[in-house]
Amino acid sequence: MDRRGFLKFAAGGTVGLVASPIIWNTLYDAVYWTQNWGWIPRLKKGASEYLPTVSKLCPSGTGFLVRTVAGTPVRTIGDGNNPVTHGAMTALAAAEAELRVSPARLKTPLRRSSDGAYVAITWSEAEMLLKEKLAAAGSLVAAVSGDPTSSINEVLSSMLNQLGSSDFYFMPDEEMPAAAAWEAMGGQGRLGYDIEHSDCILAAGAPVLESWGVVAANRSAFNRTHPVAGEASQKLIYAGAVQNNTAAGADLWLPVRPGTEMTLLLGVANLLIKAGKAGFAAGLQNFASFVSAYTPEKVSGITGVPAARLEEAAKALASAKKPLVIAGSALGSGGSAGPVMAAVAVNMLLGSVNREGGLVDLPFPVSVVSHATEYRETIRKRFVDYTQSVAAGRTKAPAFLLIHAANPLYSLPADSGMKETLDKAGFSVAVASFMSETCEACDLVLPAALGMEAFDDVQTPYGSGRVTYALARPVAKPFADARSAGELYIALAQELKLDTGVKDMPELLYKHAFALGAPFRSMMEEGRVHPASTSLPASPLFYNWEAIRAAASAKAAEGDLQVAPVVVLGMGTAQTAIPPFATKVVTDYQLKGKLSVVQLNGATAAKLKVQSGDHIRLVAGNNVEITAVVAVFEGILPDTVSLVAGLGHTAFDEFSRGKGANVLALTSVSREPGTGLPVWGLAGVKAVKA
Amino acid sequence: MEERNNTTTPASAAKKSCCGWGAFVVGLVVALILGWWVLPNLMKETKRQPIAFSHVEHVQKQGMTCEQCHFVRADGSFSGAPTTAQCAECHFTILGSDPEEARFVREYVQTGREIKSEWLIYQKQPDNVFFSHALHFGPLAELHGPKETAEFCSKCHLNVAETDIPPVYRENRLSGYSENTMLMWGCERCHAEHMAMGNTNASNACFTCHK
Repeated sequence: MDRRGFLKFAAGGTVGLVASPIIWNTLYDAVYWTQNWGWIPRLKKGASEYLPTVSKLCPSGTGFLVRTVAGTPVRTIGDGNNPVTHGAMTALAAAEAELRVSPARLKTPLRRSSDGAYVAITWSEAEMLLKEKLAAAGSLVAAVSGDPTSSINEVLSSMLNQLGSSDFYFMPDEEMPAAAAWEAMGGQGRLGYDIEHSDCILAAGAPVLESWGVVAANRSAFNRTHPVAGEASQKLIYAGAVQNNTAAGADLWLPVRPGTEMTLLLGVANLLIKAGKAGFAAGLQNFASFVSAYTPEKVSGITGVPAARLEEAAKALASAKKPLVIAGSALGSGGSAGPVMAAVAVNMLLGSVNREGGLVDLPFPVSVVSHATEYRETIRKRFVDYTQSVAAGRTKAPAFLLIHAANPLYSLPADSGMKETLDKAGFSVAVASFMSETCEACDLVLPAALGMEAFDDVQTPYGSGRVTYALARPVAKPFADARSAGELYIALAQELKLDTGVKDMPELLYKHAFALGAPFRSMMEEGRVHPASTSLPASPLFYNWEAIRAAASAKAAEGDLQVAPVVVLGMGTAQTAIPPFATKVVTDYQLKGKLSVVQLNGATAAKLKVQSGDHIRLVAGNNVEITAVVAVFEGILPDTVSLVAGLGHTAFDEFSRGKGANVLALTSVSREPGTGLPVWGLAGVKAVKA
Repeated sequence: MEERNNTTTPASAAKKSCCGWGAFVVGLVVALILGWWVLPNLMKETKRQPIAFSHVEHVQKQGMTCEQCHFVRADGSFSGAPTTAQCAECHFTILGSDPEEARFVREYVQTGREIKSEWLIYQKQPDNVFFSHALHFGPLAELHGPKETAEFCSKCHLNVAETDIPPVYRENRLSGYSENTMLMWGCERCHAEHMAMGNTNASNACFTCHK
């Protein structure tokens, strides 16, 4: 065939192909082929179920429905049948289905090799290692738990007690200073707050709509008492340095300088006593005499709250039928007992103790595991005292240190001694769901199942006004090679021939439910929350004015500017970091590029000669320095700067690592006068334009 | 120019004309055979269902209804093919003499292997198509018996109700979908022509199917 012949053959072939369907069908097939590319998300198809359970990542143990498709969790939604949350849930709980498959999720046990890198090991190797190290450690064993609501703590404390160690601790939280304050005032049970039934709440420093207490329940109560149409049936007064979401929702905002909430409450107490509110108890006269010095003018000078607004708040409390005063902190840890003592005293003046809509004396959770330490004892123990003592060499370093559901390297100040304790520990183990800063510093890292993947429970979170018991039940298979931490500890105890009195987690949960009279079977099958109707006789409270006076003598943090941290659960917790699902709610007023945003008002900006968008260096008393981007915001007091917490991670995944600065790095541990509690809620900084 | 004219003789011109048309026709025929038969077949891979399931046995002989295996769940999603557990409600043990049934019981029911994940779906749509069986089942209420139901379902699906062995599954090697997968024009038979099956009032807007 010559050239012309070939060309005609090709022309005939082309006409033939065009006249056949192959080209057009292939084009169509190519369209379908584009749907098969690996990076295109695939829909999970199958039966859809809505299974009620509770979050173990959210500090307030939010109840929610996990929607599963063909057994895989795809999202979490509020549970309208939940008697605590009434369908509300937190931003963190809303992200839990996605967090289950987060890039930072631990997939397999990891052991640090001799060159410092982690190597994956099997669970049986990990269990052998745990057994061997625990047996060799003798009584030099310590453990800390970041989940105070779980029964798993009882198994851990039981193991340690039987090994001869009393070093089981909770991570510092909001309840520790409150428990110390309540006890100092004569409280014998556990401090609770009946927010739902109160008609006037003064929340001093406690962002009740964002991070304090049982947030979902608080928000639900707020929604019900503040209908869109109609009169609000509850007055919410918030005292805080920043116009955060709680301040924005409050009926009255008292802009108070950071660390002066106690002074504010003592000023309120003085006004209430003058108004004839004087609930009788021992020490009333001395207390009244002490607070008489806290005149509105003096309080206004210290706190920055105008005297008229202070009087308005006191008047609202005095005229309410069921007033309630709450004191707390934004950070949720490292707070002082003093403000809580002052809040208890104000509630006593108002007759708001052990009354509907007031402070409630709740029974402590009771241990059902043999040899376990009772909750009320553990809450008294101070982990930071232990770590500082180990760091200083006053206490022998643990040969075996277990860190359960906590990230102390991130969430404690640098001078807490945590790093030194980890360095000195013979063998350190982290049981966690995500690769945190603490995990990266441990010798062995074990992947723990989430609440929706294993049996666990939530016993009355701090901030609740009644005893509640909720079961976390496995509504999905554990991710990758994750395992139930509770089952791991129980099996380990059995291996070590320790007597816990329970053979597995369901039995442990059953015993708790039985102790509370809760319907275990229906809780297990339907995921219902049990609100117990237990109550205690009224505690013999007294005005411990001496303790209050001592706590009131605490000095403000040194520095030109006071730091007011803002905590939002959308930023996750120290254990979770920023949920990938929630990155879209991180705003330019919290994080700009890779720098934290520091908010300050126009007067402060003028004093520092900076404006929005400028870079500024904040230098704390501990010489830690962070660079941040300035954003001018008038909802903040002069000489105060606000930073959002939850940034500055060095571990986890690309959604959290290297984003912003950790506000906790600016804080230092000090001791509260009187109680001796380790506190780090306040930080003072000097600012320099960068 | 002169040189070129010298190479063109009347004899070679006649030859060129004859062979040229022949080559064109040969090319055309070869391409038509390739385009209509060879390549389409090469593009497809023939597969068999994991079990030779007989609809005739289940529907006509055992009197089962379609809805016993293929139903809309309470949440509105469609069950599709049954799971091993659903089949095991009857086939928890070997019931008859069919070797395929015995193999199903041995290999799936007794081992927990999931038949649904292996079953080849003739009409699987990509995820960019939102299709609700529940919305399309309105006329089912007016139908009587499996025969009418099968006719209705076979407007889109292969009519498997009267088959004793499952039809051959031919998968496109490029797209990964069955050759029976309905293309968009198939949907538009009703969505663009409202009166095609009585007045369906079906919208033909993009977002009706592509969310």
